[in-house]
Amino acid sequence: MTQHATVTGSWSEQFRRFEHNGAEISPAWLRDVRRSAFGDFERLGFPTARRGNEPWKYTNVRPIADATFALAEYDPDVSAGIDLHAYELPCPRVHQLVFVDGHYEPGLSTEPVTEAGLHNDVLGRHGDGPVVGRLADAIEYRVPLVREHLGRLAPAPGNAFTALNTAFLRDGAFVQIPDGTFVPEPIYLLFISTGAQAVVTHPRVLIAAGADSSATVLQSFHSLDGGTYLTNALTEVVTAPGANLRLCTLQRESNDAFHIATTRMEQARDSRIASVVVDLGGRLVRRETATLLGASGASVSLNGLYYGAGKCHVDNQTFVDHAAPGASSNEVYKGILDDASHGVFSGGVLVRPDSQQTVAHQVNKNLLLSSDAEVDTQPKLEIYADDVTCTHGAAVGQLDADALFYLKSRGIGEDVARNLLVHGFVSEVLDAIEDGAVRQHVEQAVAGCLSGSR
Amino acid sequence: MLEVQGLHAEVNGVEILKGVDLSVGVDETHAIMGPNGSGKSTLAYVLAGRPGYEVTAGSVTFDGEDLLALPAEERARRGLFLSFQHPIEIPGVRMDHFLRAGYNELRKSAGEEQLDPLKFDRLIRNKAKAVEMEPAMTKRAVNEGFSGGEKKRNEVLQMAVLEPRLRILDEIDSGLDVDALREVARGITDLSVPGTSTILVTHYDRVLSYLEPDQVHVLINGRIARSGGRALAKEIEERGYDWLEAGAGV
Repeated sequence: MTQHATVTGSWSEQFRRFEHNGAEISPAWLRDVRRSAFGDFERLGFPTARRGNEPWKYTNVRPIADATFALAEYDPDVSAGIDLHAYELPCPRVHQLVFVDGHYEPGLSTEPVTEAGLHNDVLGRHGDGPVVGRLADAIEYRVPLVREHLGRLAPAPGNAFTALNTAFLRDGAFVQIPDGTFVPEPIYLLFISTGAQAVVTHPRVLIAAGADSSATVLQSFHSLDGGTYLTNALTEVVTAPGANLRLCTLQRESNDAFHIATTRMEQARDSRIASVVVDLGGRLVRRETATLLGASGASVSLNGLYYGAGKCHVDNQTFVDHAAPGASSNEVYKGILDDASHGVFSGGVLVRPDSQQTVAHQVNKNLLLSSDAEVDTQPKLEIYADDVTCTHGAAVGQLDADALFYLKSRGIGEDVARNLLVHGFVSEVLDAIEDGAVRQHVEQAVAGCLSGSR
Repeated sequence: MLEVQGLHAEVNGVEILKGVDLSVGVDETHAIMGPNGSGKSTLAYVLAGRPGYEVTAGSVTFDGEDLLALPAEERARRGLFLSFQHPIEIPGVRMDHFLRAGYNELRKSAGEEQLDPLKFDRLIRNKAKAVEMEPAMTKRAVNEGFSGGEKKRNEVLQMAVLEPRLRILDEIDSGLDVDALREVARGITDLSVPGTSTILVTHYDRVLSYLEPDQVHVLINGRIARSGGRALAKEIEERGYDWLEAGAGV
């Protein structure tokens, strides 16, 4: 208990200060939610790899627990100096929200959302597009969806990082796609860390996709100049029947940064989510992606690419809860691990007793580019229904020597040949990004990362 | 063009080639025949520079240059091409991307300007049509899901693009029906511009009716047991390899 108290001590101090200064928009319900979440964090403490704590078996967050991170202050001068050019999507129009060290930056964002706009959408008399705005505004204007879902999809009592995010909940992004609305241009949520100080940010995103709506949301995490800091991101997603939501996450944090990301999704009947997560940076990365297939006909595809270099540790945990009959899930996660990096993949699939006619496929493949690189991969299938189609596979290997020779025998040099093979390995994941502009953007980031590494 | 002298080579510590001598001149076609396990494919791989094939004695020169001192990619850049008996499938790597990389490496080493994707696209489409391959195939992953015939035709397409001066065709006819073989052979013949030489590595006489060799060499137990003209191949077709094996003391 003593050790426990020291670990959470600096956070308690920070939470008290936050409650007094930072929480300028604070309806009573939100204050209660925060306080309760912080209580959960104090009770849970940071997870450890103690016996029986299977989900944290391979990932040690001691470096996070031992460090002290300040809550980032808003500095308009810093934001003013940011050149967004490097982060731009190659398409004429986007709905873009930019956060710098966790603070909304109106000068870089494209979407001023008005109270009237929010209410119109909430009442179903939507205009011609999605609501893409600050979570703080949605809270202030009492958007019912926010009150209904915020913190419900990702409950604080079960997870220390979720609890921390909710305890420090002040702002973030709120995306709502009205019923029947097709959004042709990508919705772009950009989170930039300046890396100037050892700060913590708790990016929070709530996405609600209306019935028969269709949209693409890209979340992107970048660092300006390296540095050691902690990003503790939490995304909650809920779909109405028939919605088709494409989610993409690109993580390019500094090589000294800690990145914790939790995504919790809940899907209604016949809704589809296609998720692609790409982790290219960070020193310690833990990403949890979970969905509840709560009604028949719901489907999800979870795709992931993780790249580790140096002493990077990157851990992907997925969980698909087949809680209704006739739902399907398809997972493809691929890892490239170089130097002395360590990759972890754990794929949880739960098929509940009445979830007949479930289809669940899972594949995890890892490419080790160095003899010091390591990976731990494990499928975790729990199947309690009998009429199901479930498959899983995992592979760990090096670059195919025969393929390498084939390329070289056509005049292609060692480096270019290796690069072609590595890109061939990842293309399956990147091809799963359906929006052309988003795919091109992510492909460029991956190419830059892979070529810079060798 | 190619001079092989006293070539010995091992795979996994087992000696496969036990003193091969071979001389291939410009514009010549040579057939290397032999029973299974005689070292035909090993010879092809050693010439192309495959890792794991260790030369323990002898020499190989290509246009007077020590070929064995060069890595595989440099040999290709000098104009050597190995057509694989079993072309490798490479998931996720598109044919046109792969071939453009190879083509541009060859141009670069020849001191020529590289082609941008658009210009290369035009080139590969024309080459594909010339070897009777559907240009859309070049947008697919290298050899992935290709039939045996498509894979061999794909090797011919690569030759058409890379324009090698010395072609080593390892069992080019395996997996091909008679019509596919005729087409592949015609493609190879069409590409035989002056200055091009060919080594046909084959178990059977079949392919030699389409690609006429100037010389036929029979490889038995890692050595050339006999050399001759086209008639030698016909004799093997009738009598098999046994009589030569006996002569070679196997």
